[in-house]
This record gives sequence, C-alpha cells and structure tokens, in this order.
Amino acid sequence: MSNILTCRNVTKVFGSKVAVNDVTLDIPRGKIVGLLGPNASGKSTFIKLCNDLLTPTSGEILIDGNRPGIETKKIVSYLPERNYLNDWMKVSDIIGLFRDFYSDFNEEKAYDMLKKLNINPKDKLKTMSKGTKEKVQLILVMSREAQLYMLDEPIGGVDPAARDYILDTILSNYNENATIIISTHLISDIEKILDEVVFIKEGKIVLTKTVDEIREETGKSVDSLFREVFKC
Amino acid sequence: MLAKLMKYEIKGTARIFIPLYLLLLLFALLNRIINPFSLLENSDNFNLQVLFSIISVTVYFILIIGTFVMTLIIMIQRFYKNLLGDEGYLMFTLPVKSWQHIVSKLIISMLWTILSFITAICSILILVNVDNLSEVLSLFISKFTDIFGTAGFFTLPYYALIALISNILMIYGAIALGHTFSKHKLMASFGMYCILYVIYQVVMLLFILLFGKKNITSIVTSAAPSVLQINTLILELSIPLIIILVANFILTNTILRKKLNLE
Repeated sequence: MSNILTCRNVTKVFGSKVAVNDVTLDIPRGKIVGLLGPNASGKSTFIKLCNDLLTPTSGEILIDGNRPGIETKKIVSYLPERNYLNDWMKVSDIIGLFRDFYSDFNEEKAYDMLKKLNINPKDKLKTMSKGTKEKVQLILVMSREAQLYMLDEPIGGVDPAARDYILDTILSNYNENATIIISTHLISDIEKILDEVVFIKEGKIVLTKTVDEIREETGKSVDSLFREVFKC
Repeated sequence: MLAKLMKYEIKGTARIFIPLYLLLLLFALLNRIINPFSLLENSDNFNLQVLFSIISVTVYFILIIGTFVMTLIIMIQRFYKNLLGDEGYLMFTLPVKSWQHIVSKLIISMLWTILSFITAICSILILVNVDNLSEVLSLFISKFTDIFGTAGFFTLPYYALIALISNILMIYGAIALGHTFSKHKLMASFGMYCILYVIYQVVMLLFILLFGKKNITSIVTSAAPSVLQINTLILELSIPLIIILVANFILTNTILRKKLNLE
C-alpha cells in the first residue's frame, strides 16, 4: 500500500529564516507517528504546509497522491495549536458546521465524547475555559473518520486526567488504515502510544525510526533519546 | 459549498444586523409617536419633555449613522478576523476553494449594505409623516425618467451594484495585501487601501481621458443632454470599475492561495 504522506525536499523560507529545511519523508498508513522537536523547530510550519495553510518555497508534498488542496482537506483532519472556534457559536453550531462541510464527520461520536467529558452542547464557546475549548476542538477533529490526522500540540493545555482520556480517545477512534501525526514536546505522556518517531531540529529531520528500533538499538526510551539528541 | 459558506456567513452577521435594524425602526416609530420635532419647535421653555425629545432624536440619528458604520466595520472584520485571524485555521482547512470564501463574504456584505439602505429609508418613511407617498413617488419617477429615461431604471442600479462590488473587493484586496506584512497588518492594510484608491482614481481618469472625453464634453456643453447620452456615459464609466473589480479579485484570491500566512 502506498504511503499516506510523502515529502520531497520540502523547504519553507520566511524572509531570511529557513523554517523547514529540505525535508524528505515518507509516512505509511496505519501508524501513529510522533513529530518531536523543541520549540520553534519547524513542527507547526511543517504541519501547516501539509494543510495548505502555507505554500512551500520549494519541494513537493503529496497526501494520498495529491498536493495539499481540496482533495486532501477532505481526508485530513487537522488540529491547529491554537483555538480556531468562533466565540459566538454554541458547541452544537460548530458540530453542525463540521457536519455540513466534512462528509466523513461522525456526529454521534462527537456528542458521545462531549457527554463523557461533561461538556454541554448548548453552551456558548465564549463562556468556556481555554482547556474546555481545546477539548471541544479535539473532539471535533477526532470525530472525523479521516485517513490522516495531524494533531499539533494536542495535549498542551489540558489537565493530566483529561490528557489520559484524550489519548484513549485518539487510540480508540482511529481506524487501522488511518495515520496519526502528533507534534509535541511532551514526549513521556505520549510515548506509549507511538509507533514511529520523527525528530526535527531547526527545520531539518535528524532521525526517523520506529519506537521498537529505538528500544532495540539503543536500549533507551524515546524520551531519554530525545533529551540526548536535543541536549542544550 | 458556496451556499453552505453563505449560510454560515449569514449566521455570523445576522445576530448583529437584525437587532440593529429593529432598534432603528423602533426609534423611528418612537419619534413618530412623540413627535419631538414639532415639540422642539413650539416649546419656549426647557422641561423634561423637551429633554426627552432631544435624547430620542439624537439616539435616532446615532442609530442611522451607526447602521452604516457597522455595515462597513462588519465587512472588514468578517474578512480580517474570520479568514486571516485564528478562525482562518478552520476556514482554510475546510474543503472549499479560496475564491468561494471571497465570493461568499462579498455577496453577504452586499446583502447587508443594501438592507441597511432599505432599512434607513424605511425608518425615514416611518419618521416623516408622508400622507401623499404615492404622489411624491410618482413625481420622483417622472423627474427621474425625464433625465435618465426608462433605461435609467436599469443602468443606474447596475452602476451602483458594480460600484459596490468594486469597493468591497478593494477593501478585501487592501486587507489581503496588508496581511503579507509581518508586522502592523491593520496599519499596512489601511496604507494599502490608500494606494489601491489612488490606482483606482488614476485608472478612472485615464479611461475618461482616453475614451470618455468626447461623450463627457458633449454632455457638459449641451444644455439638455439626451437620455441616450447619459445612459451611454453611465455604461462607459462602469468599464473601468469592472477592470478594477476583476484586478482586485485576482489580487485577493492569489494572496489567499499562495501567500497565506496565518499568525
């Protein structure tokens, strides 16, 4: 089976700053991949390039054989690292919006998860705390039956209890053929669910390995390897 | 998809405009009932009733100006915030083409601009007691047809519509250009609007000098220009507007597609 995501020499330059530097990468289907790197290493920029929010300066990105555009947006579920919800909407309004625009959105699943996290669908987003909004956003994104999920810092702002629930949610909601790319620097929390890791530093890929390979070859956990590679 | 975008655009804006329109009509009605104008004219001394009249008239005028200011602010804010602010992360990851975003915002902005005008006119009609509305209307129509002919009922609204689209797209173009700056995006947008406006004026002037000179001179010099001359001029003057309109649309769409750089 072909790879879900293929990058060939992708570079993104902002003015004089190189944010993503000659990235070549293949991500297979059916994997949970950690995109790991310190702050400002180009993680978010890379994910934005894959979601057509930025245009690469050079190189090519293919998702399921297509360049980022309408066709890829139909099959990619993206969680940005910021709150993109309209403040004046109710949770049920935004669920309606997802249902209207994404044919792979599973409304039932969304309401079910809201109930489990004690979020009232009739509440306005304006009245919610930052953490609750993050939960709502993650629920929306994970309620899509997408082929590729790209989660940018999905657990940064929520408490550890909800963090566990969210990781469970991620695990229980993804089907076997879907791939999840999670960008984060909170490695120890997500290490147990990862199949593969990609280390990114100053816009460059410095390591791509499966978690099993890392354990066998180095005898280290991903977390300690990360600390070693990115030692300041 | 365009229809769905428009549905959400209406949802996002109606919650501001509908209460505003109702309030405006309500105050027009209130002023009609208490009739503060005659009260202000006829009363010699200052009393509570006069004070109340002044307040009621002032509120009405603030509302009528506020309606148009709001129309402009919402037009800018919906484009700037919903597409180029944080909400843009959602909007631009929907499976929708960027031109559809522009067109949906444009159409709904036009809708509210036209509704604002209609509501303002309605409020004036409520406020001013026009007994002989049909007479006034038929007088207006006969004066209008004297100058513009029956064709004027098509050419003038057509010109107004083209001018409206052209102006809204110029605002979008300016905001999109301002967005390409790394800092002070709003200030940059304002600066860009000034530049686009100057370009618009130059295009208009060049067009008149090159093509419209003959027609304009003949209209200005003749004592009573013919209906045909006037309507031809209106149609001619819409051409540079259409050029500006298309240019701004392409500019905005290209920036949203290729140069998008959300914070």
